[in-house]
Amino acid sequence: MRRPSTPRRGPRSARASRMQQARKKRVCRFCENNDLYIDYKNEKRLQRFISEQGRIIPKRITGTCSRHQRMLVQAIKRARHLALLPFVSDAVK
Amino acid sequence: MEQQRKRVYETTFIVNATLDDAQIDQVIERFREFVTKNEAEIRTLDKWGRKRLAYPIQKKNNGYYAVCEFSAPAEIVAKLERYYHLDENIMRFLTVQLSEKMLKARQEQERRSAAPPEQGPPPPVEVKPERNVTPPGAQDDDEESDDDAT
Repeated sequence: MRRPSTPRRGPRSARASRMQQARKKRVCRFCENNDLYIDYKNEKRLQRFISEQGRIIPKRITGTCSRHQRMLVQAIKRARHLALLPFVSDAVK
Repeated sequence: MEQQRKRVYETTFIVNATLDDAQIDQVIERFREFVTKNEAEIRTLDKWGRKRLAYPIQKKNNGYYAVCEFSAPAEIVAKLERYYHLDENIMRFLTVQLSEKMLKARQEQERRSAAPPEQGPPPPVEVKPERNVTPPGAQDDDEESDDDAT
C-alpha cells in the first residue's frame, strides 16, 4: 500500500513556519501594566499608535493584543472627535 | 419617591478660544449651573486651558478644553447635549458614561501615581548557602524525610 504523497507545502505554510521561528512572544504593552481602560484624553500616549499619516497602526505591528487594540481604537476615534488627534496628517499633503 | 440611581459620566467640551478668559469662565460657570440645577453632582471640573487643535474647527486652530466628571440620573445626558448645542461658544463636546471598569482603572492609576515609583528591584543580597555542619558520623543521607512518598 502506497502512502499518499505528502501534500506540497504551499507558500502560506512556509511563511507560517518562518513566523513561528523568527518571532518572539511580544507582549502587549497594556497587558504588562494590566490596564483596564485606555483614556482617550491622553493623546501623548495615543500618538504612538497612529502613523505619520494619522492612520491607526495595526496590532501586528505594535504587538498589542486584540482586547487592548479594540479599546485603543475606540479611544483614538474619540480623541479624533475632540481634535486631540488628527484624522489625516502631514504625510498625505 | 424613590431616588433614581445616579450614573457617573465624564464630559469634555471645547470652548471658543478667541474669547478672553473672563468670558470663557462665564461659559464654564453657566455650564456648571446648568448641571447642578439638574440634579447632578459635580465630582471634578478640570480646565485644561488653550490647546492647539489637531485640525481646524469652525476655522479656528485653538480651543479651550474643559473636562467635567459628574454623577447624574440618566435623563440629564440628553438635556446636557441640547444645552451644548444651544451655547454658540461651545464648539465640540463628548459625553461618556464611566463604567465600573473605568472607575476602577482610574483608581488604580491614581494609586500608582500617588505612590512613589519603585526604584527597580532591590540589589540582590548575597545569600551564602548555610553550612550545615554535619555532626561527625552522620554520613548517611539516604534516610530522607517521609515527604517524598506520596
